[in-house]
Amino acid sequence: MLKDFLILMKPELVVTAILFLLLFIKIGKGIKNETMLPLIQVLLLANFLLGFFFNQQGVLFEGAYSTTPLIVFQKNILSLGVYLISLLCTDWLKKSQNLPEFFMLMLSALLGMFFMISSGNLLIFFLSLELATIPVAAMANFDLDKKIASEAAMKMILSSAFSSGILLFGISLLYGATGTISFSELPQLLDGSPLQVLAFVFLFTAFAFKLSIVPFHLWTADVYEGSPIAVSSFLSVISKGSVAFIFISTLYKVFQPMHDVWYNMLVILAIATMVIGNLFAIRQQNIKRFLAFSSIAQVGFILVGISSNDHTGLTSVVYFVLIYVFSNLAAFGVASVISGQTGKENIDDYKGLYKTNPFLSWVLALALFSLAGIPPTAGFFGKLFLVTAGASNGSYGFITVVALNLIVSLYYYLRIIRAVFMDKNEQPIDKIKINPAAKLGLLICGAGIILVGVLSWIYDYINSLT
Amino acid sequence: MNVTQILFWFLSVLALFGALMVVTSKNPVHSVLWLIATFFSISGHYILLNAQFLAIVNIIVYAGAIMVLFLFVIMLMNLNKTTEPKKNRWLKLAGGVAGGCLLLVFIAALKSSEITQQTAEVKTGDIGLIKNLGRELFSTYVVPFEISSILFLSAMVGAVVIGKKE
Repeated sequence: MLKDFLILMKPELVVTAILFLLLFIKIGKGIKNETMLPLIQVLLLANFLLGFFFNQQGVLFEGAYSTTPLIVFQKNILSLGVYLISLLCTDWLKKSQNLPEFFMLMLSALLGMFFMISSGNLLIFFLSLELATIPVAAMANFDLDKKIASEAAMKMILSSAFSSGILLFGISLLYGATGTISFSELPQLLDGSPLQVLAFVFLFTAFAFKLSIVPFHLWTADVYEGSPIAVSSFLSVISKGSVAFIFISTLYKVFQPMHDVWYNMLVILAIATMVIGNLFAIRQQNIKRFLAFSSIAQVGFILVGISSNDHTGLTSVVYFVLIYVFSNLAAFGVASVISGQTGKENIDDYKGLYKTNPFLSWVLALALFSLAGIPPTAGFFGKLFLVTAGASNGSYGFITVVALNLIVSLYYYLRIIRAVFMDKNEQPIDKIKINPAAKLGLLICGAGIILVGVLSWIYDYINSLT
Repeated sequence: MNVTQILFWFLSVLALFGALMVVTSKNPVHSVLWLIATFFSISGHYILLNAQFLAIVNIIVYAGAIMVLFLFVIMLMNLNKTTEPKKNRWLKLAGGVAGGCLLLVFIAALKSSEITQQTAEVKTGDIGLIKNLGRELFSTYVVPFEISSILFLSAMVGAVVIGKKE
């Protein structure tokens, strides 16, 4: 019993152990950031590597917690993302006054996401969703002397409290209509009565808030702009990825009897999300706001994959999130290095970057090509599988709109690449000396963007898990 | 109609009336006082369902501690008529229409569901007693319990970092 517990809950236990280690380091005598940060990076790397060993499949606490090879793989993707963020944002993290606290909050959010992906009933799901959100709102305020950071934290906590309220309302209605909160018992009791549909719409709304699906996206751009880049990248990659994982598994497993209802919702919301995300991304001047709207548009494409409702949809979404971790973190990483050294965050400042910083320019170009979905990069294969999965239902009108949106997204990603490589600038950003840790992070991201697309066994492996 | 039913209707009317007064009263302090009345009547409902622990906690934590915080904040912010923002008439209309639509959907959904034939079983069930609740909390629901302890820890860390000015 105890052995099962230790092995099955290993990812959560490791994260909790690191969390408390940081707490005790903080309580004890202070360690300088220069020694603290490499220690944390090693711990996070160990957390990621440990995810590959001693994995078993099983259920704990009468179905409240379950784990499968796919869930383990999803957790590994999230651990990898957190490790990469700790590398890429080295400049900002070193200057931070509260480094151990920052990682404590980040790890408790990660713990919440782990529990959320493994959750087997609505109670654990709700609590772990809260655990994955509230620490991030505190993290958004870590630029303590900036007013815009407080505004971002305030907006984040208010909108997440609102969405939690809607989620709880939906859960209580669902419990009233079916009499159970267990994910394994719910599918047999769902018959599509109006009350159940209403409860489901409320649950769906809460997911939409967390994934920033249009029209529930209004908090996204302000929060990304105000918070430190480490937090924006955590929100846009790790939070989005984890919620996408649990969203797809609840839709496919728990709400399968309501497939007709959520298929139509997904189609409408996917189109709205892609169109609005794309149109607003075109006119952004701040790189963080730009990446915020780009991430909204990317979520729209994830919804296209989810709408397929078979295992190709699941495979393509997990595969796309893996690629998205590399590409979006590379883009945020470049922004973080530049912002950490010069404080510049406007796209106009990036003009002529290639003249002074060729390495950063190439990584940024690779990341944006991957986000846009241009062939040699992994992003192309990710988009290809998502759209193929979405097309398996035979709704070709929908897929045509998706393809048109892909073209629009190409325009604004290339706009940045043109600014970096072709536009002339009197005073380009000076030559930046990149920190070795950040450089390692950028190289891992760049390698990931190319290799994940080229190595076909990765897709086959994910396919075998689903 | 026995005593329990009379109590149920009385408490329900009180809760709804209190909630309406919270929204409609002009003075924020009055709103808070009506909210306390609402919490007390909801605690009464908990007692009718034999959930004694929940009723007491609801009174101590919500009607007691949190409402005192609310009162403090409202008095510190010194809200009065001049600081109240002007509300757009069209915004009010839009809010009314949206709220009315939601109400309509709720009534329609509840009307056609089987839930209307089921009534709450008052005065039965002993899960709400402290002894049984504690046993459940530390056996069946031990994972959610531990998750919430980490949640509180991280909330505390976040609050300390934000509150502490160098």
